[in-house]
Amino acid sequence: MSWFFKSKQVNLAILVASFMMGFVPYFLEVPQVYGFANTLTMVSAVVGQFAIVIAIYSQYRRSLRFISERRKGWVYNIYLLVLMSVMILMGFLVGEHHASYMWLVNSIVAPCSSVVYGILAFYMFSAGARAFRARSLKAALLIIAGITVLLYQAPLTGAYFPGISPYAVFLTEKVGMSLNRMFSIAIITGAIMLNVRMLTGRELAFMGFVGEEGS
Amino acid sequence: METWIFLSQIFQIFIAFCLFTTLYGKGNPLRSFAEYSYLAAGTAMSVMWAWNYIRDHAIIGLQAGEWIWIPAIILGLMMWFRIHPKYSYISRMPIAFTIGIGMGWTIRTNIFTQFITQISATIVPLFDQGAMWLFERTVIAVGIITMMSFFIYTTEIKGPHLWSATFGEYFMYLAFGAVFAGTFMGRLGLFVGHMQSYMFPVWKQPYTLGIAILVFVVMLWLDRSGLGEKLSA
Amino acid sequence: MGKEDFNLLKWMATYDKRWTYLLLFILVLLPMIYPIGMPISVSELTKEYYEQLETLEEGDIVLDSWSTEYSGYMELKPGMISSHKYFIKNGIKLFICLGHPEGLALVQALLDEELKSYMEKYDYTYGEDYIILGTALPNQAATLAMATDFQGSVKVDWKGDSIQGTFLDRIETGADIDMISDYTTGAGNPGLINHIVLTFGTPMIQNQIGVSLPGSLANKDAGLITGLLASTRGGSELELLVNEPGPGLIAMDAFTLGHYLLIIFIVIGNIGYFGWAKRVSEERERTTIR
Repeated sequence: MSWFFKSKQVNLAILVASFMMGFVPYFLEVPQVYGFANTLTMVSAVVGQFAIVIAIYSQYRRSLRFISERRKGWVYNIYLLVLMSVMILMGFLVGEHHASYMWLVNSIVAPCSSVVYGILAFYMFSAGARAFRARSLKAALLIIAGITVLLYQAPLTGAYFPGISPYAVFLTEKVGMSLNRMFSIAIITGAIMLNVRMLTGRELAFMGFVGEEGS
Repeated sequence: METWIFLSQIFQIFIAFCLFTTLYGKGNPLRSFAEYSYLAAGTAMSVMWAWNYIRDHAIIGLQAGEWIWIPAIILGLMMWFRIHPKYSYISRMPIAFTIGIGMGWTIRTNIFTQFITQISATIVPLFDQGAMWLFERTVIAVGIITMMSFFIYTTEIKGPHLWSATFGEYFMYLAFGAVFAGTFMGRLGLFVGHMQSYMFPVWKQPYTLGIAILVFVVMLWLDRSGLGEKLSA
Repeated sequence: MGKEDFNLLKWMATYDKRWTYLLLFILVLLPMIYPIGMPISVSELTKEYYEQLETLEEGDIVLDSWSTEYSGYMELKPGMISSHKYFIKNGIKLFICLGHPEGLALVQALLDEELKSYMEKYDYTYGEDYIILGTALPNQAATLAMATDFQGSVKVDWKGDSIQGTFLDRIETGADIDMISDYTTGAGNPGLINHIVLTFGTPMIQNQIGVSLPGSLANKDAGLITGLLASTRGGSELELLVNEPGPGLIAMDAFTLGHYLLIIFIVIGNIGYFGWAKRVSEERERTTIR
């Protein structure tokens, strides 16, 4: 029976069949088929949520190993496991709308989440101040464009020197947008190529078939 | 104001500044405490998020008699075998199913939004709306094509391809400068908004400044005494 | 050997970056304690966003998608507050979908704290004027299901109460949604564009962070998004347009000072590079060759 789960052909057939069920109905406009495809997409979303258990298991395993080996900072791992377990239990027992659970969410997750991204402002500041050197024409273009848009973005400049607006808006909305559009087109092209490789069985490492490409 | 809400506000300020000590560049127990708190609480929140999704769809669906959720739950449980050293191959099927469905509707939609629509928005009539429109659309079209030519590595870059790639490279540097400025604006706005939440209403200001100074002094003392690195994770 | 004399150009090339962190901190906090009140201008982008808001009529239903974590809320807060004040003042019906686990904290921060008194002022009540569907749009699959069969895929609100008998009874598919209002920190929920905008032609406005702005500009240029609000700056401009001053306008002093500080240090760094670092590096190369 294990051959059925291990078989590359069976798993590839499931991959292709589920791809077809997600891809083809869009072009058929048959309500029953479309409805079934929608149901399958919801099923796949639910299946995907089960993966969180793997993340929890990995975290517990890693922390317990740190604790048993008394590695540097092992005390923090005890704290992590206790806090995580308490919050998960609270979520199941009292619900996530309960005041105590929300207290922990608002007191820990909210500020830390903000700091993790807010701290990037300092790193970007430092990177810009230390790396922006006009060593060549290309670097000079980078700095000129950067300073022009920075000046425009400071609200005071726009109020007293409105002449900078057309140049900065051009750089942001045309030049910067072109870069992003180019990357979008290039990335989706690469994604389609990768998906074709996956569907033809040449790229199956994501399913655990390592070293069997093309066979 | 309720005591718990007040304590929550103060703790938020404290843990935020503990995490800001990352900027000092050296480990310290305040930062480790904040990091591990965030990791624990964030992971717990993700668990509840996943559970709510499963409950709201699969469990409630089953209770309503929708038997399609039985294979969904079975596939989900099969996914857990990923961590088993001997039977991890059982998880291949749910992974194949999930990724297949995801590929299906992602490709058929992203081909339109990220590919066809973007290309058709680039190749537009140039002479319809005046000189400025002509200039802007020409810049966009030429910029995109030349930047793409810079990334073609399958042939030797020479001749007209070299001119195109060189122009594209200079165009990219111009674009990166503008994008950097936009990114900095975003992050600064995030930081400013974050600080606003600790400085307003005005009653918070002495607490914020006091906690900031306290954390800064403790961090410096821990560093100078050598305890910072020793007690950190 | 005597102590080396202070070399300004050398300092400009080699200063400890942590001093700039402290300076940025001070320049952000100081205007909050002692506001300066610098004037701001309103960009065309924000004006177009506001024009899109003005196309809505009382009773229209808007899909309010909060695809942002709490950190993104800090940046999008001015835009979110002023947009929602507009919706509340003009009687627009909202159904709020959270796209991130941290959305729970957002509900409390925005609805229970920032907008509570405003909602009471305009008698904007839960169930009648707005409904929170919770994590209804965590991924594209869920968005697709909602877009094609709303009543079949969404039955309860975020607390498990039935949504039958509310204004959401009017929605069968994405075509019945009058507008999408998306607050996002990244690509957002691409399902909104893929499955609602493209399929049903529903207009979509977006409040986007600075990092992801170029991507959204590409979508706006392609006609996928009809209105775009750019980060904190756009939010503060919208506060001016809807005549509801708030955290955005207060933040603009710090915003201006932060930008100018970066420009000053870029200039300082280049002076230090050309005045000292480049010369030292060339001398070192000459010495090595000899």
